[in-house]
Amino acid sequence: MQHKIPVSQLGPQGEIMAHAIEACVHCGFCLPACPTYTVLGEEMDSPRGRIFLMKEVLEGGLNLEEATPYLDKCLGCVGCVTACPSGVAYGELISTFRGWSEPKRQRTPFQKVFRMAIQETLPYPSRFRTAATLGKLGKLMQPVLPQFLQAPLNLLPDELPMAQPLPEVIPAEGARRAKVAFLAGCAQQVLQPNFNWATLRVLAKNGVEVVIPKGQGCCGALSMHTGERERALGFARNNLEAFPPDVDAIITNAAGCGSGLKEYHILFHGEPESALADGFVKKVKDVSVFLAELGLKEPPALKQPLKVAYHDACHLAHAQGVRAEPRKLLKSIPGVELLEIAEGELCCGSAGTYNLEQPAIAATLGERKARNIIATGARLIVTGNIGCFTQIQTHLRKLGKEIPVMHTLELLDKAYSG
Amino acid sequence: MALKPAFVTEVQEAVRAHAKLLPRGGGTKTALSTPRAEQTVLDMTGLSGMLEYDPGEFVFVAQAGTPVAEVEKLLGQHGQYLPFDPPFVEAGATLGGTVAAGLSGPLRQRYGGVRDFILGVKFVDGQGNLIKGGGKVVKNAAGFDTPKLMVGSLGRLGILTELAFKVFPFPKATATLKVTFGSLEAALEALYKLAVSQFEFYALDLEAHPATLTLRLGGLSEALPVRLERLLGFLGNPAEDRRLVLEGEPERGYWRGVNRLEFGEGYLVKIPIQPKKILALETALSTQARCYLSAGNLLYLNWLEPIAELDSLLKTQGLSGLVLRGSTSHDVTSLESPFIGVNLEQAFGNRVTAALDPSRRFSPEP
Amino acid sequence: MSLSANPAGLLADLARALPQERLLSQPAQLTPYESDALTAFRARPCAVVLPETSQEVLETVRLCAKHQVPFLARGSGTSLSGGSLPIDGGVVIGLNRLNKLLKLDPQERIAVVQPGFINLHVSNAAAPYGLYYAPDPSSQPVSTIGGNLAFNSGGAHCLKYGMTSNHVLGAKVVLPTGEVVELGGESLEGLGPDWLGLFVGSEGLMGIALEIRLRLLPKPEKYHTLLAAYDSLGKAGEAVAAVVASGLLPGAMEIMDSLAIEAAEAAVHAGYPMEARALLIVELEGETPQVEAEAKYLSEVIAQSGPYEVRVAKDNDERMRIWKGRKAAFSAVGRLSPDYIVQDGVVPRSKLGQALSEIERLSHQHGLRVANVFHAGDGNLHPLILYDGKIAGELERGEVLAGEILKMCVALGGTITGEHGVGMEKKEYMPEMFTPQDLEAMHRIHRSVDPDELSNRGKMFPSGEAPALSHGAHPLEQAGVISRE
Ligand SMILES: Cc1cc2nc3c(=O)[nH]c(=O)nc-3n(C[C@H](O)[C@H](O)[C@H](O)COP(=O)(O)OP(=O)(O)OC[C@H]3O[C@@H](n4cnc5c(N)ncnc54)[C@H](O)[C@@H]3O)c2cc1C
Ligand code: SF4
Ligand code: SF4
Repeated sequence: MQHKIPVSQLGPQGEIMAHAIEACVHCGFCLPACPTYTVLGEEMDSPRGRIFLMKEVLEGGLNLEEATPYLDKCLGCVGCVTACPSGVAYGELISTFRGWSEPKRQRTPFQKVFRMAIQETLPYPSRFRTAATLGKLGKLMQPVLPQFLQAPLNLLPDELPMAQPLPEVIPAEGARRAKVAFLAGCAQQVLQPNFNWATLRVLAKNGVEVVIPKGQGCCGALSMHTGERERALGFARNNLEAFPPDVDAIITNAAGCGSGLKEYHILFHGEPESALADGFVKKVKDVSVFLAELGLKEPPALKQPLKVAYHDACHLAHAQGVRAEPRKLLKSIPGVELLEIAEGELCCGSAGTYNLEQPAIAATLGERKARNIIATGARLIVTGNIGCFTQIQTHLRKLGKEIPVMHTLELLDKAYSG
Repeated sequence: MALKPAFVTEVQEAVRAHAKLLPRGGGTKTALSTPRAEQTVLDMTGLSGMLEYDPGEFVFVAQAGTPVAEVEKLLGQHGQYLPFDPPFVEAGATLGGTVAAGLSGPLRQRYGGVRDFILGVKFVDGQGNLIKGGGKVVKNAAGFDTPKLMVGSLGRLGILTELAFKVFPFPKATATLKVTFGSLEAALEALYKLAVSQFEFYALDLEAHPATLTLRLGGLSEALPVRLERLLGFLGNPAEDRRLVLEGEPERGYWRGVNRLEFGEGYLVKIPIQPKKILALETALSTQARCYLSAGNLLYLNWLEPIAELDSLLKTQGLSGLVLRGSTSHDVTSLESPFIGVNLEQAFGNRVTAALDPSRRFSPEP
Repeated sequence: MSLSANPAGLLADLARALPQERLLSQPAQLTPYESDALTAFRARPCAVVLPETSQEVLETVRLCAKHQVPFLARGSGTSLSGGSLPIDGGVVIGLNRLNKLLKLDPQERIAVVQPGFINLHVSNAAAPYGLYYAPDPSSQPVSTIGGNLAFNSGGAHCLKYGMTSNHVLGAKVVLPTGEVVELGGESLEGLGPDWLGLFVGSEGLMGIALEIRLRLLPKPEKYHTLLAAYDSLGKAGEAVAAVVASGLLPGAMEIMDSLAIEAAEAAVHAGYPMEARALLIVELEGETPQVEAEAKYLSEVIAQSGPYEVRVAKDNDERMRIWKGRKAAFSAVGRLSPDYIVQDGVVPRSKLGQALSEIERLSHQHGLRVANVFHAGDGNLHPLILYDGKIAGELERGEVLAGEILKMCVALGGTITGEHGVGMEKKEYMPEMFTPQDLEAMHRIHRSVDPDELSNRGKMFPSGEAPALSHGAHPLEQAGVISRE
């Protein structure tokens, strides 16, 4: 598509945006893949429409404030990237655009506080733990709170698990086949500590030595995707330093963090650390990919056959193109019957902080996903992302279905332990 | 009075010179080609002959008055045919008459009817303008699809002078299977099953008495025996006395016979229908000769009683019909309109008709 | 716009007829509707209406007629000829929320859908019954049946069973005057002039289809999908002529040249032979014994056409990959160039080789790359002319090149468009194909249905209004309702 974006004035970030916009041929192949278009049926809530809007804003033909309501509704699920034959890097476009536009935005004082609260808590496990505990208090007050505060509270569990600090090194069981560094994640540590423990156990079982670098922090994805570029750079710089270079891979078990780490080269585009970031990115792997490539030690057969539906987390399937590997791992558990979910490529509506910012659309998508999941007849749902986990569990419950939900590695861990 | 133009310009002149005109091709559809009091007949057989035919292209252009038989003969020499299978070939039907009457035969089952094969048209409108629509390549989206519009137009939108069609290769070998059933219901049930099956038929005809399905297969000769066997198996291997396989010349002769639509005395009526409407209609019919073609989508019916009775029968069944022939000239001239049954007129059609024939030269009404 | 047009009055009436969230008139709401898949053209509507019922469509059309404001139906906006380009200051009626399957009767093999129903969803809905909807434009995962109907869309598999028009049995239509008519019927056969045949392919100039009755076909028992790689485009073109002349009737025959292969491979990893200068895909379909027998003949014909490699899809997965690549090719070419013009001319199949060489020559002459990916079995070329709008003069050169290709198609006995329609883009080429008298007759038909030329005004006919390449003040701005400060 032609554009008149003043790239030279916008600098390196402008190049990224202009490049993505240029590649869009306006063919609309991304429309059916976009959850907001599917739900809202409006061009400006579609990838094609958003690209057009961003182009207009960057060209100066449209006020930013007029476009933002539609850009804000974007989940960042990048389903559109999978669908796009023209290779439009929409994910890079929207992240960069958010970074570019955030300082220019006029937000209400309340929005500012709300956003700040998110930015200041979610990325920090200890603060998040405190906030979540306070949230429990909020739950009691829920009936009298305004609508927009209800959504986040709905997603908080009634009971928080105990904090279990992770060791710095987990040795391999038997002969060491590989050495990796592990990113522990933020909210996930607090809400579902077992994800990490299960992951570490399975890695060890497969002869992998795991180091958990002490200085590591949030991957920065949350900040990156909400336009807090400086903050994201801070997190990322910290991680570039904290992770040791002498490992075979940098492993995550949270889809969102994985895709965040894999975007470091874009974040650092035009920054001094650019080369370092490129090297870092090459090592980042989702744990499912790492295990599938390494070759999984076959787990013992399940006691009875089990129908399992695998839910593709957007940040795995769309952002990282990881679809086959988790399925391969699950299928390698004797007794697992793997089922596919209808509209599997459509986001569940969790998408980072989306639940907090666009609760209505998030709820519609969550319910749609839950109904599709129920229709499979599965007895267990498996996914590779904490956000999806929470969202699916919440919406299954709302529909009165208590189908258990697990992380991929939790099921593997269970299989090994019988 | 009849005029017989030999050139398109003569057609244009005739149109400008006459208040009421009725074009006629071979005159095989008497109910459509017999003039009313004030109508001047335009005998189109003077505009005859193939204009372009490159067998490698599977497309031809011919003048509207060309006899279908001539076209089929030429196509046949190259192993090709008219897939919509127009009737009355032996009787002298012309291409133009076939298009204007909108008629297809049993073979339409495989690839479609006349509307599906017409590519281009030239016609003289009600003001004497010569107008072209469509083209002569197998695919064309430029401009309005006036070639399709002319299918079934009965000469009321314009006088066809030239037509372009796409054609297909005729199968290297064919075979026909006739199977009789204990009841019409059973035959219909089999028809439904066959129509949604993966078997591909060149013809899928139904007769009511005795309830019979006639299935024509076509393709490469080496595959035909296996296909026939599979088909019989699918039908539950009907007993010997309930099935008949035709091949070779007898088979071709059988289909030439069907093409004549010779049902004897009385009216011959074309009725578009659907399989789900057949049972109800059948309860109201008795011994009339008839045949349902193309998996129960096209009924050719013989009618001996006054046409008004069929008119009301069709209305009660939610059907419409077009009277094609009558056995006497009285039958034909006494017809108020060849259209019977449910009235299909609507605003869109009326508007377009008025645009092409503002002075109503082609309208049978005064 | 005609003098009597009253957009402010229309907007006021629309605001009464529709809930606020379905009457879009803010700049940020209108901007994304300014183009279809041909982004070289843009025009700003005065409003976008998103009806959820036929009744709302009807009401909108009637209000447009009352206020003499032109309108345009829009499906998914994938037209490649500017068909769904808004009329400057007119109304866009977005039909994508009218997307229900109203009826599926597997026994009668009929589906009735609303116009916003997506093409591919018809086949998906019919699949459990072993049926499918045959016309498969490459845009089938996106484009709507309403848009397909308006453009008589075709696809790779239209060689045997025809285009949209051959698969639509009936339609309920609101005419631009606000009248509602039923065209066609339920049977495969009809009586009287084929009004439906005229409506299909009329590019939205004759009103809006509200309900569409489609014919479904049983899914073929067997597919045989063959890939032949050639070291020249000409050879592939001649192979097509040879297959056609052999009397085989494949379900599809498609050609991709090296640029298209490169782009499609990058997009979907179809596994195409990357070094090929041209790739021919031939697919046989039908009863297994027949297809197996035909496959032998096909191999012989192909072997004689001089390919350097021939492959046959082993299983359904491989077949699907081959088709996915082919169908993604247009969009994928966006990887090779920031802009392109897709042409859609048709030539007689025996002249394919000649036409392709001529395109190559023109491409060199004008210094622009041309990718080819097209429905070879129909002789339907799709040259994609690659240009960079940022480089001064490239668009203009591309347009000249496109025009020369179209003229060549006509000169070879073909047509300027096989399936993408005339729209805004090719209307100036209509006189290449039709005499003033032919066009006048079409115009007469048009005006009889739409006396005020409200429906998709300015398209298809060469004398139509020029598109607004840049837009002036919004009517609401003129009316003082909104401002852009
Ligand atoms: C990548 C790509 C590949 C393509 N491949 C093919 C192909 O293989 N074959 C092919 O034929 N086309 C193809 N196209 C073109 C396009 O997809 C078709 O023309 C399609 O039919 C348009 O459908 P739509 O829903 O997007 O309609 P739109 O673009 O929204 O509208 C098209 C036209 O239809 C009219 N219209 C829409 N709905 C109605 C209605 N209900 N009643 C009356 N008029 C209506 C509009 O006014 C407009 O004039 C392709 C396009 C793209 C971008
Ligand atoms: S699929 Fe890609 S190229 Fe097509 S409109 Fe969407 S983003 Fe643009
Ligand atoms: S990222 Fe997701 S929500 Fe955003 S435009 Fe793409 S598909 Fe739609």
